Amino acid sequence: MRRPARDGHPGPVIEFIGLTKRHGRKLAVDDVSFTVCPGRVTGFLGPNGAGKSSTLRILLGLDFADAGTALVGGRPYREIRNPLRTVGSLLDGSGAHRSRSARAHLTWLACSNGIPRSRVGEVLDVVGLADVAGRRVSTYSLGMGRRLGLAAALLGEPEVLVLDEPVNGLDPVGIRWIRGFLRAYAAEGRTVLLSSHLMGETAETADDLVVINAGRIVTRGSVQEVVGGHASLEESFFALTEGLSR
Amino acid sequence: MRVVAAEFRKLLTLPSALVAIGFTVAAMPGLAAQTASQIAARLDAGGPEVVGTVSTLNVGFYLVPFAVIGPIVLGIVLAGSEYTRGNRDTDGGRQITASLTAVPARGTLLMAKASVLVVLSGVLAAVVVPATIWLTQTVLGEHGHTWDELAGTLGWRVAGAVAYWVLMSLLAFAVTLVARSGIVPMIFFVVNSSMVSFSFLLTRATPLAKYLPDVAGTQMFSPDYPAEGMLGPVPGGLVMLAWTAGLLAVAALVLTRRDA
Repeated sequence: MRRPARDGHPGPVIEFIGLTKRHGRKLAVDDVSFTVCPGRVTGFLGPNGAGKSSTLRILLGLDFADAGTALVGGRPYREIRNPLRTVGSLLDGSGAHRSRSARAHLTWLACSNGIPRSRVGEVLDVVGLADVAGRRVSTYSLGMGRRLGLAAALLGEPEVLVLDEPVNGLDPVGIRWIRGFLRAYAAEGRTVLLSSHLMGETAETADDLVVINAGRIVTRGSVQEVVGGHASLEESFFALTEGLSR
Repeated sequence: MRVVAAEFRKLLTLPSALVAIGFTVAAMPGLAAQTASQIAARLDAGGPEVVGTVSTLNVGFYLVPFAVIGPIVLGIVLAGSEYTRGNRDTDGGRQITASLTAVPARGTLLMAKASVLVVLSGVLAAVVVPATIWLTQTVLGEHGHTWDELAGTLGWRVAGAVAYWVLMSLLAFAVTLVARSGIVPMIFFVVNSSMVSFSFLLTRATPLAKYLPDVAGTQMFSPDYPAEGMLGPVPGGLVMLAWTAGLLAVAALVLTRRDA
């Protein structure tokens, strides 16, 4: 999965190259290029509607780009065999049908990618849903749905995690837990890309930041670099985006 | 194979799919047995052996075009469940996201789903239709027919009924997949099979209606279709097969080209 670069350091695992996507007449993603490296948590930051989800959906092969490509380990997602064992992802909602139980949802996912059935119980324990795993997903709270989505992402013990707004709906304990979890995940040399519109939270969790606004990347770099001389990431963000949107 | 197994598991853990299967298994034999016992009672009282269009021979079998609702609902649920949204406040997601991240090869996903449907509706038909015939003849008792008589009249029509159920479920599946919602297909197909057959009404208006998929397909099993100039069983079956293949091709084309 990790492609060693020439200098011996691991190369980027996720690459976006000139990605462009239109929704009708609106340019949702405008020539987006950036890379995500292993061993680090990369925060993909921007306001709602900035193009974060559109970018991630193209990466995961759900939507088609009008131009450009998105690669995981040098390949388009659609060419990965049993992709859940390489890339774990969480998008809007849990992806579970509301009349199914969490356990039934995770079981068919495991079955489809040749993941041992024992992983279902393990990930339910990890995200703290083991006690309610037999309940229909329609009875879940927003936070429980997010936890189920995260369980699905972790099912195949993937090298890469792609999470869209993972802390949405989580309570402070949940947010603290996921922060620690993702940091530990990256510390094992794995790759974490998470999108968020919450600047303070992302600054706490991420090593690197990619900031997007109105479909365009406005800046990228380590958290320190992006915050720069500003008092906070939020200050820096508004300084970067306000000039552009006028 | 993994994908097919996963699709089986997915469908059979959906309550609505289980209701559709339960309906098919219970409704057709149940209604048929009730009608058979009414006919038997009438015969005991010295009445005619034909009630309306239902005779001691086709009692049970006459329910084939109604009980197909079960396989149709299975097909609709199989496609529609992918696009059902979760609770708006807590989970706005749809299952298609999970399905396509797990199986990004969309053609493979479609084939797996269609295979599951062919097996389930085929097995349902192959079990429920003969079981219903057996049950009605048992209920008719002394008024019933010998297996030779039944085989002579119904014989190949049972196979036609199995084919009809399989093809109808695939048609409903393909239409729902393109529509991305089961609501309109559900209303249309259920009303067309149970209350008012729009396609039958069209046979009154135009001879071209004989080429409609359900009208053509019905000729595979119906001994007494109430309209003139219909296709034969084999051409009828082929016309329905062509409709099914065509609509599945459209569904494949749409699924592989549009954003999830």
